Amino acid sequence: MNIFPENVSTYGQGIDQLFWLILVFAGTAFFISLFILLYPLYKNHHSRVKRASYITGEKKSQFFLVAVAMCILALSDFIILFAEHDTWETIESLPKVKDVEYIVIGRQWNWAFTYPGPDGKLGTSDDVVIDAPDSELHVPLNKNAFFHLKAKDVVHSFFVINTRLKQDCVPGRTITRWINFTKQGKYDISCAEICGVGHTRMRNFIVVESQEKYNHYIDSLYKQHSAVAGN
Amino acid sequence: MSNTVHSQSFLRKYIFSTDHKTIGAQYTITGLVMAALGGFLAYVFRYNLAFPGDAIPLFGELTASQYNTFITCHGMIMVFWVGMPILVAGLGNFLIPIMIGTDDMAFPKLNMMSYWIFLFSAIVLVISFFVPGGAFGGGWTLYPPLSANGYLNPNPSFFKALFYGNSLMIISVALEFTSLLMGGINFIVTTINRRAPGMTPWRIPLAVWMINIATVIFMFSVGPLIAGAFMLLFDIVLGSGFFDPSRGGDPILFQHLFWFFGHPEVYVLLLPALGVLGEIFPVFARKPLFAYKIIVYLTIVAAILSVVVWAHHQFIAGIDPRMATFFSVATILISIPFSGIFLAFMATLWGGKIRIELPMIWALGFIGLFLVGGFTGLFLGSNAFDIYAHDTYFIVAHFHYTLFPSIFFGFFAAFYYWFPKFTGKELNKTLGYIHFWGTFIFFNFVFFPLFFNGLGGQHRRIFNYGMFDSINIEPYITFEKIATISAICLISIQIVFIFNFIMSWMSGKKAARNPWQANTLEWLAGSPPPHGNFDNIPTVYRGPYEYSAPETDADYLPQNVQP
Repeated sequence: MNIFPENVSTYGQGIDQLFWLILVFAGTAFFISLFILLYPLYKNHHSRVKRASYITGEKKSQFFLVAVAMCILALSDFIILFAEHDTWETIESLPKVKDVEYIVIGRQWNWAFTYPGPDGKLGTSDDVVIDAPDSELHVPLNKNAFFHLKAKDVVHSFFVINTRLKQDCVPGRTITRWINFTKQGKYDISCAEICGVGHTRMRNFIVVESQEKYNHYIDSLYKQHSAVAGN
Repeated sequence: MSNTVHSQSFLRKYIFSTDHKTIGAQYTITGLVMAALGGFLAYVFRYNLAFPGDAIPLFGELTASQYNTFITCHGMIMVFWVGMPILVAGLGNFLIPIMIGTDDMAFPKLNMMSYWIFLFSAIVLVISFFVPGGAFGGGWTLYPPLSANGYLNPNPSFFKALFYGNSLMIISVALEFTSLLMGGINFIVTTINRRAPGMTPWRIPLAVWMINIATVIFMFSVGPLIAGAFMLLFDIVLGSGFFDPSRGGDPILFQHLFWFFGHPEVYVLLLPALGVLGEIFPVFARKPLFAYKIIVYLTIVAAILSVVVWAHHQFIAGIDPRMATFFSVATILISIPFSGIFLAFMATLWGGKIRIELPMIWALGFIGLFLVGGFTGLFLGSNAFDIYAHDTYFIVAHFHYTLFPSIFFGFFAAFYYWFPKFTGKELNKTLGYIHFWGTFIFFNFVFFPLFFNGLGGQHRRIFNYGMFDSINIEPYITFEKIATISAICLISIQIVFIFNFIMSWMSGKKAARNPWQANTLEWLAGSPPPHGNFDNIPTVYRGPYEYSAPETDADYLPQNVQP
């Protein structure tokens, strides 16, 4: 059994590997600590010992071992910090190449998507907005997709489980994050921050498809949109 | 000073009492009643998670809105109306005066007022369940704008808005902090001014040190949150816009104010429990507490660091990624003094002569569970992994593995240790062991499976996972059921504790003055200690942890014995 859901982003692997790395450190430290805790219960049980040793632990020589253990722990902490730093930077900073971009707005209680219109720019009058429960955001495969995350009413959190990305959306701010999908499919976008009574049913989809199919979808989207606008 | 036998009316002795032990008992019992309420809420929403849609025994059907209310109030109650009264106010009141060898608190009337304001705050919270719309259901972190914009009604009038669940919750929290500030001032002034002759700072038992350091952390960090709470209240009832971006406010500001207090609060709850361990380990290992002074220094270092780690709750809230690195480093740094403290406790056992009695087994269980909580903190302190694990069941399991041992194992260790002193009766041991093993085993079965649910991507505070086909799958469904059934067992096993508590108190065997053969001053007083505690204020000649000292053949040497 795999403990993580399938990963479909370029950087998700980094997070999964980080888990195993930390598990090695934390697991080792946990079992050593457990031994330090439990062994004396057997060895120093009152039936085996005549009198306890009078050790205050205040002398340098007595505290030495504890200090060494603290240093080892601090060292492994910093190893983890260095190991994770690249992953953090990759996810939180934007790549140089932007292939596609969207505005994603969290609202009570669905995600609303804005595609750039035929002019290819966001924030112009020909933008296409899809704002409905269960709606899908289509993105092309293997492209750097930028998401400008906003919130309309309360704090929401953009969570695409299979990519490992989570980012709060805060009213009054635009936060840009990116995903490069490595596999076609339909994935949940959930909201990870409690946002009211409909929090439990706040769910939309990301549909990842080949560039061809994506272009086709966008064309039909523009046609639909201009037909609606023409009326 | 003391030693006057008062004849007091029932009302003065048990209800409007200024005696620190009675006030401690009032805090503890109120805390336990609130724990029963918090536990019941947990039972209801856990039942719903395992069997969504089913009518819940003893409750009925749960709506999504009630679910949100219940998870919110469960968190609020367990931290502020259980952890704080039991561990800080309860233990502080019971232990500080008697352990430093005085007859009562420095300000007994302020102490009484502190309790009554606390009780009032609890009543306000309970009342909020019955106002239109019910109690607040936007998460115990109270994040605006969800908590600020009328929640139910976009344009509430002043008086109406005051009686909404969110207003009442903020008011009750503010009242509770007011009460604990009074209690805190009392603790610190009493410890500084009212110590028995000879009770120098390095002869103060660790429990008293820890409660005082926790109080200082609390008093230092609570100001910004009270300010934040009032700004939020103004946003609700006066229509101000502190946290409303459309009027120049910023919701993230509240998150900073909240977590500037919220994270140190975790240590406020942990430190008194560590103080309890510091009393229990030496007594049952018959050996001095390892590195007593260094523990105190490490705690002070941790206390200072505790106010610069808060933003690790906000890694994904939209703060600057470079700032996150600072808080990641600070978070890792704070683990170092705590690792030292825990290692020192464990080192106390090495070379000891260990008796496993009820208080000891709770203390050992505390450390065992807390290790899981501490080491899973490493995953979350690493900000990259936190992107994924944040707001999932992984974090829920993690903080229950830290807070449950602190609040409940810490309290039960203290309870089984000091019960003979403060009631004069012995507890039933068999029931005590049933209570321990039941609590220990079922606790693990509740929360260990949830780590996997979190890693599988289940985000928290979801009423029904039916909408999410990718995470509403086996084994997570089974894990939810295991967790729920174990939670029901965990709550039910507490009946053994209540039964033991009441039966032993009423008709237990009479306890000796110093049944554990401990050194600290409280064991010198009668069991139960009378009003005024000591026949004569004792004089202190040595530190609290002189066990198996070379100067005597006995394996303990009380603080008050003349050399």
